[in-house]
Amino acid sequence: MTVARAQRTRLLGVMLLLAALQFYLRPRIANPRLAPDFLLIALLVYGIRSRPGAAAVAGFAIGIITDALTPARFGAGALASTLVGYLASWGRAVFFADNLLVNAGLFAGGLWLRNLIVLLASDAGEGGFWPQLAIWSPLEAVTTAITGVLVLVLFRRWLDLRLDS
Amino acid sequence: MSAESDRSLSRQDNARFLLCLVLSFAFLLGPPSWGEVTGSLIRRSVLVPFLYLQARAEDARTSHAVRERLTSERDSAAYAAQFLPALRLENQRLRQLLALGQRLGGGYVSAEVLHQALPTDGRTLLLSVGSRAGVQRFDPVVSPEGLIGVVLNAEPDRSVAMTWAHPEFRASAFTENGSVFGVVAPTPQTDGGEMLLQLRGVAYRDTISVGTNVMTAGLGGVYPLGIPVGQVIGLVREEAGWQRAYLLRPAASPMIASHVLILTHPVQGSLAGAFRDSTP
Repeated sequence: MTVARAQRTRLLGVMLLLAALQFYLRPRIANPRLAPDFLLIALLVYGIRSRPGAAAVAGFAIGIITDALTPARFGAGALASTLVGYLASWGRAVFFADNLLVNAGLFAGGLWLRNLIVLLASDAGEGGFWPQLAIWSPLEAVTTAITGVLVLVLFRRWLDLRLDS
Repeated sequence: MSAESDRSLSRQDNARFLLCLVLSFAFLLGPPSWGEVTGSLIRRSVLVPFLYLQARAEDARTSHAVRERLTSERDSAAYAAQFLPALRLENQRLRQLLALGQRLGGGYVSAEVLHQALPTDGRTLLLSVGSRAGVQRFDPVVSPEGLIGVVLNAEPDRSVAMTWAHPEFRASAFTENGSVFGVVAPTPQTDGGEMLLQLRGVAYRDTISVGTNVMTAGLGGVYPLGIPVGQVIGLVREEAGWQRAYLLRPAASPMIASHVLILTHPVQGSLAGAFRDSTP
């Protein structure tokens, strides 16, 4: 097996594990609004080690899947995840350091931005918009950031990531 | 890497990004049927194993809660004091659902709610049963507290429900004493508080006092008569000489519902009695 193929296989393994956690572990967490979003972690992990175009396509695919699961406004999740995936990859190429705290910020910021775009595109109304954006999204962003960092630390060799302590 | 190939890669990136954006906007702005068909296709193919996992996880969570309760009852009072309240609440809700099912006397299917990560979860809910269990489009969805919504799309093993929090939700309703009729719709809140409902189209000559219960009127052929919708908490607006709109606190919350009942058969008469007895 070539090195590139081995890398792709390991990455696919991590992505599948995160997808399984999204559907098997997340529902077991008492409040779903506070539970980490494993699919977004998968998107950002893929985004920070891929080119912006590929990250945008991955974002679109994950967004369409989340839209299929929450079809309140189909396309909102796809739009949001496409933008987040592209920006994460582009931002990583331009200025993100290989630092755990920076990556934690990327996970938290990515989730908050994803939720902001979904709410804007879904025409949530002020009542749904502000509590989501000011209370629930930051809390979910924190749990997602902590989980995302754990994933990076645990799988850094599989993902071929260089992380500063 | 040469500058030429780097520019070529950048162009490819931009082209892919733009294509994804165009497709996203097409789904957002196109006919809703595009989203319904695509969503259904994805749920029935790629997502089948993952949704199976989620349904098992929801199932296990409930079983886990029951086991925890039994263990806690045997354990020390301190341990029980730490863990029992949440379990009691969940078990109480499940008992209420069972009791409601018995009072309904058949014609329903129980379903687990598969909550999702997007902030719009709560406007629509993914339910763990579908047409194989007898669920059809436009079947009402209820919890022990009252109306949750209506089935929007029934697939063989899953269904999607539109809840009262969805901007397009409407239901004909009347006050508990049957004197005042109106149409219930979600309200655009401006104070950042909880999601509320409005009882719109109330005749100007009618007034409703705060605390009055509102339930479905059974008109329109979707929702049976007598499902609690909410309680009046104030007047929203009145259009002079024409109509009033009242603010309602919803009876049931789709955001926290873990199990629901789907009414699969037409109901004769009022369901008000069944729900009145299920109020804690």
